[in-house]
Amino acid sequence: MVSTAVPRVAARRGVVRRVRWEFWLLLPATLYIFLLIGFPLVLSIYYSLSHISVGRRDYSFAGLANFRAILADEIFRQALRNTVLITIVVLIAVLVLSTILATALAERFPGKPIIRYLLLLPWASPVVMSTIAWKWIFDSQYSVINWIARKLHLIGPYEFPQWLGIPSLAIISIIIVQVWRILPFATVITLAGTSAVPRELIEAALVDGAGFFTRLFRITLPLVRPILGVAILFTALFTFTDMAVVWILTRGGPYNTSHVLSSWAFQVGIVAGDLAQGAAIALFMLPVLAIVAVWVLRLSHREVTE
Amino acid sequence: MRRFTRRHLLVLLSSTAAAGLLASCAGGQATPTSAPAGGQATPTRAPAASPTAAAQASPTAPSATPTVAATPTRSGPVTLKILQWSHFVPDYDKWFDQWVQEWGAKNNVQVVSDHINYADIPARAAAEVSAQSGHDLFAFGFPPSQYETEVVPLNDLIKELKQEYGDYYPLLERSCYNPKTDVWYSFMDFWAADPILYRKDLFDQVGKTPDTWQDILEAGRQLKQMGNPIGIGFSPEIDTGMAMRTIMWGFGTSIQDANGNVVINKPETLEALEFAKQLFQEAETEEVLAWDAASNNRFLVSGRGALILNAISATRTAEATYPDLAPKIAIAKTAAGPRDRKGSAHWYNCFVIWKFSPNVDVAKQFLKDLVAAYQDAFKASKFYNIPSFPKAVPDWQQQVQNDPNANPPDKYAVLATAPDWTVNVGWPGYMNAAEAEIFDRWIINDMFTKVATGKASPQDALAEAERQIQDIFKKWKDRGLV
Repeated sequence: MVSTAVPRVAARRGVVRRVRWEFWLLLPATLYIFLLIGFPLVLSIYYSLSHISVGRRDYSFAGLANFRAILADEIFRQALRNTVLITIVVLIAVLVLSTILATALAERFPGKPIIRYLLLLPWASPVVMSTIAWKWIFDSQYSVINWIARKLHLIGPYEFPQWLGIPSLAIISIIIVQVWRILPFATVITLAGTSAVPRELIEAALVDGAGFFTRLFRITLPLVRPILGVAILFTALFTFTDMAVVWILTRGGPYNTSHVLSSWAFQVGIVAGDLAQGAAIALFMLPVLAIVAVWVLRLSHREVTE
Repeated sequence: MRRFTRRHLLVLLSSTAAAGLLASCAGGQATPTSAPAGGQATPTRAPAASPTAAAQASPTAPSATPTVAATPTRSGPVTLKILQWSHFVPDYDKWFDQWVQEWGAKNNVQVVSDHINYADIPARAAAEVSAQSGHDLFAFGFPPSQYETEVVPLNDLIKELKQEYGDYYPLLERSCYNPKTDVWYSFMDFWAADPILYRKDLFDQVGKTPDTWQDILEAGRQLKQMGNPIGIGFSPEIDTGMAMRTIMWGFGTSIQDANGNVVINKPETLEALEFAKQLFQEAETEEVLAWDAASNNRFLVSGRGALILNAISATRTAEATYPDLAPKIAIAKTAAGPRDRKGSAHWYNCFVIWKFSPNVDVAKQFLKDLVAAYQDAFKASKFYNIPSFPKAVPDWQQQVQNDPNANPPDKYAVLATAPDWTVNVGWPGYMNAAEAEIFDRWIINDMFTKVATGKASPQDALAEAERQIQDIFKKWKDRGLV
């Protein structure tokens, strides 16, 4: 009896000690998530059900009035469509381009370290600064694109294609900048995945006479699917929630046709002062992001388990 | 020698982090901005004195004597925190920062003067109200009607100033006072006119002057052919918001009437929309669709632009940076429409005192002394800041007749007439929270742009705008502020 009880007690103490140690290790991260993500989330849900505005802390219950109002608003519906469209197009473009770049960078060629370094620059530079640079590239009067086109006689001396002033071009400009800034991250992730593919498998496929595309689509991509899931998740999250690019490039113009949910939430909630409606608009991002996150994480988990 | 293990490293890092955390929690007073050369950086601690005003300021003797003696607390003198925009005429900020430090030193008040980009003002104000913490005095560039319940009423301040300086320009009352609640929610120490800035050499070539909107359209047709189009924005930004309202008023229409009733849906609005469409299509290029608030300034100094609507900061920039171009730019009154000649002010420098401020009396005294110093302020702003109380700078309309730095010297003379044709956003009614939200949501900008680009017919664009405007007015009427 005595001889078995002592180790049990000792083991229990060990567990308790370990749990406490782990608890303290997890505490900062938990507090961080609660204070900087959980609390604002709860607050925004509360705001969206109230009458609060920037200059009037009126927390009285408004029910679903704010949600009804924004659903009836054409600009909100346009912003929702833009958000989904931009996210999907950016996602596809980033996946295709990052796969191409990762495949190229997996090979040996002269100047590879420099190319890798240059590729990472857009990711390393602050998004606000790089977007301001893009704003000048697309500027209504001093666009370098228009300047080159004029020098090449592609456009006339008084022609100024308005990259940020025509609705369709404004959306294309936003997509270009989003792809430009997210591509390095997705490429690095994909490159890490492709580098981890066992060399023997590729060599065996080569012996069997598999071509480049067979190896890519039948061996490499299936094996890197879990890590591609991470790239998809982050690309979707970064694009869906970003407001800096839209705000700096177009501020939602022309005539509110290039707003995304986050920029329209800021315009309504902060600039125009209707915090309650702004919170309601922002909350529309939550279910979509939750579904994407759960789906991608489950996909990755399944692949790892298999 | 003992090995430096991972455990040691972790202990060292956590100790450093804990020390940093404790140091930051210990807090401290905000660091005042350093005074420019010549200013007194460190206010001296004065003996305890009565917090009541000690002297009356004279309009002609700017802050010659201390006018408020703040009672020092146990932790030191009172700290007055002020936030305002980075002025478009940088010399004014230099003067202001030096003056506030001198004022602080004379009054035993430590003054923190912060400047931020004008575009950051709404977010900053929202953050301060939410946190119930921040600056004592907060300057908006636009009447902050939606903040009325969060600010200290300034009725007593206005009464005192009126006793001292006489009548103010009606623009002050119509921008800072709510007749519904009988509250002065802000104080506008100055406003900036929004005249027409045009290339006289180019207009001379087509034999026109931009006196009416019709003149601008007719000249613009020819100027566009010459490669010098008109530069009035059709974009989600403040200059467009003001320009479109100016066109509406010229055509005899407005969002609300004098009693705060929505009256936008009338034939005159359709007429204004049709005119703006013509102006955009025949006298402008598509570049105005993508403009921000600084684009029209850049357009003018690029040498391509024939005409813009802007404050005189654009001409001051040209004088400082493009001396060859500057003499070619002339200034004119806001254009007359078929029914009226009214234009929005370009900047409404509206100070509020937040309710959470512990220094309400000191802040009010600061504003009084600022008005007393307006002779210098007006000069430092290079005529940009037009005082709300004309007697604060009794000869300002004479001063603008002759500017030795301008070419020709009477270039700015037309500003003397600005009080006659400058009105508030919300005119012919008072500025209110609904008008502010309509402005900030760019509803008028969008209505005009949709019509100008052919995206919507004037009737459809007006109907959509009216629906949004009615909703916003109803919301604010329900809340008792309109």
